[in-house]
Amino acid sequence: MAVARDRHGAAGRCRRARRWGGVALLAIIWCWCLLPFAWLIDVSLKTGNNALSSPLLTQGPFGLDNYASVFGQGFGYNLRNSMIVASVTTILCISIGSLAAYALARLRLRRKALILAGVLAVSLYPPVALVPPLYELWRSLGLLNTYAGLYIPYTAFTLPLVIFILTTFFASIPSEMEDAARVDGATPFQTFARVILPLSAPGVFAAAILVFVHAWNEFLLASTFAPRSLAVQTVPVAISVFTGSVPFQHPIGAITAACVIVTVPMILLVLLFQRRIVAGLTAGGVKG
Amino acid sequence: MSSVAIARSRSLDESSLGKVFIAPSVLTMALVALFPVLYAMVLSVFSYDGLRREGFAGLVNYAEALSSGEFWRPVNATLVFTAASVTLEFLIGLGFALIMARAFAGRGLTRAVILVPWVIPTVVSAQMWGLMFQVTPGFINHYAWFVPQDFNWLGTPGWAMVAIIIADVWKTAPFVALLLLAGLQTIGQDVYESARIDGASAWQRFTQITLPLLKPAILVALLFRSVDSLRVYDLPKVMTGGAFGTETLSMLVQRFVADTPDPGMGATLSILTFIAVLGIGMIFVSLLGRDLAGGGEGR
Repeated sequence: MAVARDRHGAAGRCRRARRWGGVALLAIIWCWCLLPFAWLIDVSLKTGNNALSSPLLTQGPFGLDNYASVFGQGFGYNLRNSMIVASVTTILCISIGSLAAYALARLRLRRKALILAGVLAVSLYPPVALVPPLYELWRSLGLLNTYAGLYIPYTAFTLPLVIFILTTFFASIPSEMEDAARVDGATPFQTFARVILPLSAPGVFAAAILVFVHAWNEFLLASTFAPRSLAVQTVPVAISVFTGSVPFQHPIGAITAACVIVTVPMILLVLLFQRRIVAGLTAGGVKG
Repeated sequence: MSSVAIARSRSLDESSLGKVFIAPSVLTMALVALFPVLYAMVLSVFSYDGLRREGFAGLVNYAEALSSGEFWRPVNATLVFTAASVTLEFLIGLGFALIMARAFAGRGLTRAVILVPWVIPTVVSAQMWGLMFQVTPGFINHYAWFVPQDFNWLGTPGWAMVAIIIADVWKTAPFVALLLLAGLQTIGQDVYESARIDGASAWQRFTQITLPLLKPAILVALLFRSVDSLRVYDLPKVMTGGAFGTETLSMLVQRFVADTPDPGMGATLSILTFIAVLGIGMIFVSLLGRDLAGGGEGR
């Protein structure tokens, strides 16, 4: 607060002090966000009981044994399953959702308000409410312990997010572009596929990342519909069942290593595409 | 062709295309969100012995659920969790957003850093905090001088919930900050400038300008965080397994599917959860509706 108090105060030194004050405050945020994960990495690199049961960060020996043991337990299959389920969810969700968003943003459509209210209701929906009925349904359809049993509900639950993001995005594209396409004789579908979709690539990309992250992290449905079989079990479920019944027999090293393995790609995703996510959500995009 | 005829043919074309475009989304959501609720209503009026249907039971399941402490204890735990975590997340998130809005350097990188807790899978953050709160190898007891060395956070009623709330606040306060920061950046600097010329103090500028103009963003953040907290499952499931008064509504419902299967009672509880969560969400939306619509028109 004091940092921003006096704007007219003698320039140089004051401005520099303010800048360093701002950086110091930012450091609080950095510590909040990064320290717990840094601790996790530290623990995952410790080997042997002595190191793993010590609260000291520097208690060695250190090594990559935990990572080797994680992959020895079939964690590679879990990674593959999560990758497939999250990718299929993303593709389905974006292709279905972008059509709906375009219709809501641009096309003449009856009962638009009702549809939007329905979409909002689904976004407020407690997923656990569908666990008992869907479990019964999946059991009779033979969809328990299958990829489809997971990506179908994931798609339904992330559709509202995609529809909201892309409706806003499509609505922000100036309608002159479509009018121009129409004058040139394009059908409404051509207008959507050739003009609108390329222009909204950043928004589509941002929505795709959000869907992927959601599907990658989902736990409730994954642990209920595909709890054990290594052929379909996703990463969060695998990580949760590392928990032993006796606290002191926790495979701490394996848990922490597995946690680091699944999180690092997600953090890279965020660091790489942070700018594009933000830009995608803000940029309107009229060029030429 | 007259221009009226062209317009009409295009609008027909458009509205049928609209139906085709919207159909897959509506069907998917109806299949997965609407149909199961109807199916659950059917299941809930039957009594089961294990997985075998015994007969029509009317509203017996509902009466049994509503009169048992087994239902109300998780309701209570869920409400305590939601109230505490949403309040803390909002206050800390607002603080973070104000810091970031004022920062001169490092804002872009901070925005990336702030996404890190958000992107970490909840199961991972549950395991992480679970380990940190444990005597070994956790460091919380070691460095927090006010806590006994062998204090068992996750094994003590009351404190187990505190640990879960801390884990949740860590993960989602930065996300709230991001939402509020976006709201802060829509407020023009000139408003502050003229308030400053009129002699408004920093506190006055905060309460008279920032908070009122930030209201739409605050309301949206509170809505989504509240609804999300009411559905909490991952954190207590992994950290305590629901022991020591940390079982939430979602965990209760899930228990009747997996651990002690009873489709009738499970469906009954899921309908009750559905009504409770969606009801609270809808109350929120209708209360906020006016403000949100106002905020939307401003764009």
